Amino acid sequence: MIERDGIARVSTPEARASGVRPWHGYGLGLRTEHFDAVLDEHPAVDWFEIISENFMVAGGKPRHYLDQVRSRYPLAMHGVSLSIGSTDPLDLHYLRELKQLARHVEPIWISDHLCWTGNGGINSHDLLPLPYTGEAIAHVVARLQQVQEFLGREILVENVSTYVGFANAEMDEAAFLGEIARRSGCRILLDVNNIYVSSRNHGFDADAYVAALPAEKIWQIHLAGHSDYGDYVIDTHDHPVCDEVWALYARTLARIGAVTTMIERDDHIPPLAELLAELDHARRIGDAVAPSTLAVCA
Amino acid sequence: MIALHILEQRLLAHLRNGPEFPREWCAQGRVDSDVGLSIYANAYHSRLREALESDHPQLAAYLGDTLWSEFCTGYIGAHPSRVRSLRHFGVQVPAWLTQHMPFAEHAAIAELAEFERCLLDVFDAADGGRIAWSALQALDPDAWPGVRLGFHPSVRLLPTQTNAVEIWRTLKEAQPPPAAGPSATPARLLWRDAERVSRFRPVDAAEHIALRAVFSQQEDFATLCEQLARVMPAAEVPATAVGFLRQWFDEGIMSQLHVASDRAPAPRIS
Repeated sequence: MIERDGIARVSTPEARASGVRPWHGYGLGLRTEHFDAVLDEHPAVDWFEIISENFMVAGGKPRHYLDQVRSRYPLAMHGVSLSIGSTDPLDLHYLRELKQLARHVEPIWISDHLCWTGNGGINSHDLLPLPYTGEAIAHVVARLQQVQEFLGREILVENVSTYVGFANAEMDEAAFLGEIARRSGCRILLDVNNIYVSSRNHGFDADAYVAALPAEKIWQIHLAGHSDYGDYVIDTHDHPVCDEVWALYARTLARIGAVTTMIERDDHIPPLAELLAELDHARRIGDAVAPSTLAVCA
Repeated sequence: MIALHILEQRLLAHLRNGPEFPREWCAQGRVDSDVGLSIYANAYHSRLREALESDHPQLAAYLGDTLWSEFCTGYIGAHPSRVRSLRHFGVQVPAWLTQHMPFAEHAAIAELAEFERCLLDVFDAADGGRIAWSALQALDPDAWPGVRLGFHPSVRLLPTQTNAVEIWRTLKEAQPPPAAGPSATPARLLWRDAERVSRFRPVDAAEHIALRAVFSQQEDFATLCEQLARVMPAAEVPATAVGFLRQWFDEGIMSQLHVASDRAPAPRIS
């Protein structure tokens, strides 16, 4: 922690070095539909998360708005193409572009998903599940270490929603994710909605999942909506956060303390005000259950 | 023991082409494995289809539901994505449409797709400076013949043989499209203006020649004039050429201006 202007803050580089979970407050996913509203209205959002790949373009509106928003808010970079679990070689071209974008954006951190997206050079453009095996852990940890060495920083890895499990699993998902975080040095981006979705689909205890994770590794939380089909749930990110996910979020914070949180909406994007109201709800829960004693990072 | 790479191969094949993933490799959870696998398979196909619809909204409208669906199925099957961003998934759409029936029978279809891809390229092409007309005016007139020009990185020149752009425009305005027919002009010029708005306009035969000369980046202003002289009276060339330049500068699409130092002075153009 450092003192500046009489306010206690967490310096992100120092926090990284010490392993202290930084506090960035409450953020939103930056979506094209809200570009102008964000710039015109300067909403009370502590930070925005961008989809990294959306800004890996040469120029035009995407890069223009990126720079405008970056000049006003801290940004986190969230990717969907790392494919850390794929048995294809790491995409060095992608990593170079990611590093170049990070140099430009200077994000609070970089994140991606614990999944694979393609095989044999074919991209599914989906976040596909891994088998929870020792082989997969060794594979993912080795690749994470390469990625982190290349980027010069630890990244955050997010749990994904899943619809099938594999018969060769040697452990449950929480043990798999926790072991990867411990061995690779990566942090965890905990998607509370994804825990809920997978717990419904596979019949596990969502609270036990959270309890099994190394709490100090959880640096960010995603909150989102889903589509409930009764017998199964699909992670569509096109609905408001439901009551059950809010409740799981509150219990998670009560267990692990304040965690930087954001609302993630990817489809059926509502007016910005609607998402700001959801973010206020998250803030109220956070203030009530696990108030941070730190000011938001500068 | 199922090796990770085998599991990934079989699951991806299942998503693309149907039953490939052994059910006994799935754990039995609350959701039946057939249902779980079908959720992934449906997502695979619908995501790619949505990407095509997002990039080609007027092509989809022009084809109608049945042909659009036939196209999506054919294209997604023939061209599994090998690109990182869905933004580029449809890059081979125009070529595919020229090679597969019944689409190949109607040249306007592929040309409509090509126009929509040009718009995508214009939207997120690299940024670049824009040179004012005054920069050219400031040159010594003797230097003009050796001047080489370069367009803004967003500028695209699309040759047109059909009225596909007119079809696109009417569909965009939710009007009934005209019958497919020949193009009234040989090409369209597309660019992104200084306010980051995408623009396009037709170009006639003479301007097409001039534009191609600039796009080649090999030819200076004198050569551009020589090429124009093949299609119009020599006396009209200077004013025509300068008129094109003035328009391009006014449209804000000129980014480069190089003056050759080794070219002999040429007749003054004014």
